[in-house]
Amino acid sequence: MRHVQDDLTALVDGALPPERQAEVEAHLAGCAGCRAERDLVASAVRMVAAVPAPAAPAPGFEQRFYARLAREKAARPSRRERLPGSRWRWAAPLAALGAAAAVAVTVGVAETRSDRLEMARHLDLLENYVVVASLDTVESAEDVEVVEHLNELEARP
Amino acid sequence: MAPDADAALMLAFQGGDEAAFRALFEKHGRAMMAFCQRFVREPARAEELAQDVFLKLYRSADRYQPSARFTTFLYRIATNHCLNEVRRGEYRARPEADPVGEDGAPRDPDSYAGPAATPEEAAHGTALERSVRSMLDGLPEKQRAAFVLARFEGMAYEEIALVLSTTVPSVKSLVHRATVAAASALAPWSSGEGEAP
Repeated sequence: MRHVQDDLTALVDGALPPERQAEVEAHLAGCAGCRAERDLVASAVRMVAAVPAPAAPAPGFEQRFYARLAREKAARPSRRERLPGSRWRWAAPLAALGAAAAVAVTVGVAETRSDRLEMARHLDLLENYVVVASLDTVESAEDVEVVEHLNELEARP
Repeated sequence: MAPDADAALMLAFQGGDEAAFRALFEKHGRAMMAFCQRFVREPARAEELAQDVFLKLYRSADRYQPSARFTTFLYRIATNHCLNEVRRGEYRARPEADPVGEDGAPRDPDSYAGPAATPEEAAHGTALERSVRSMLDGLPEKQRAAFVLARFEGMAYEEIALVLSTTVPSVKSLVHRATVAAASALAPWSSGEGEAP
């Protein structure tokens, strides 16, 4: 007889598919050990649900946040608020970096299959940078991260 | 997927509507502080973490895609931020402080959001909360996050999987192991369920 301990919390949470729920309940009908464990889990879930909510924030919660947000915005303008001229401050070095990488690989002797694969990888990266830079959207380090993973994003369903 | 009013606010904010961002903060800010308090003890630090989460949201609004529920996006940011904070390791060794207000006086019981009808119930709730907190402090981080999202935020396993970037079977396992740990930690309470040990 296969016990069902791993499914007991999901059963208590009502998170099992109907077919599996029926199987687990059928097992519980004939297994005192699993029933006892189910009762322990259910009891723990009820007790945790009875834990009081944490203390409410001190008065002025929203105002403190808005004050901090205002300081943050003053120190670091949002991308909407930046001057158009700043937009290429990341794109240019990135394009240069990508081009340098591509040139370095191309100039080197690509004698092995791994060399050629490496070169292809760098060329894809350069292409990503060129495409994104042409969209006028490369503005920050976070954008660099996105560009580096563009191919992965495209591969997702 | 049902229409997500928060997603609409987020899209409005993406379009430059700062009032939409404020509406999101006013709707979710206090709940976010409560969430952060499941990871850190001091209310002031939890408030700071909740502010951090909304600042990150402010900065990363352009990356929000309406294909994801707003809460999924928000709690993904929050969970990562709180786990990073816990990883700093300052919290495990610290003894639990008595609940006191900013002036050092015992905190007004009315400031607790929990429904405590009598002082005995309030004391019971506080003691139970301490047991749960100690249990949470001892959990591996992903179990802790999954447990908090399931038990305190009421999220379905499917949404937790999206928040934690994992699978539903993995969430099922994480929540189960954490709940078994809770059952063990709360066993002294379970004889009369609700009675203090």
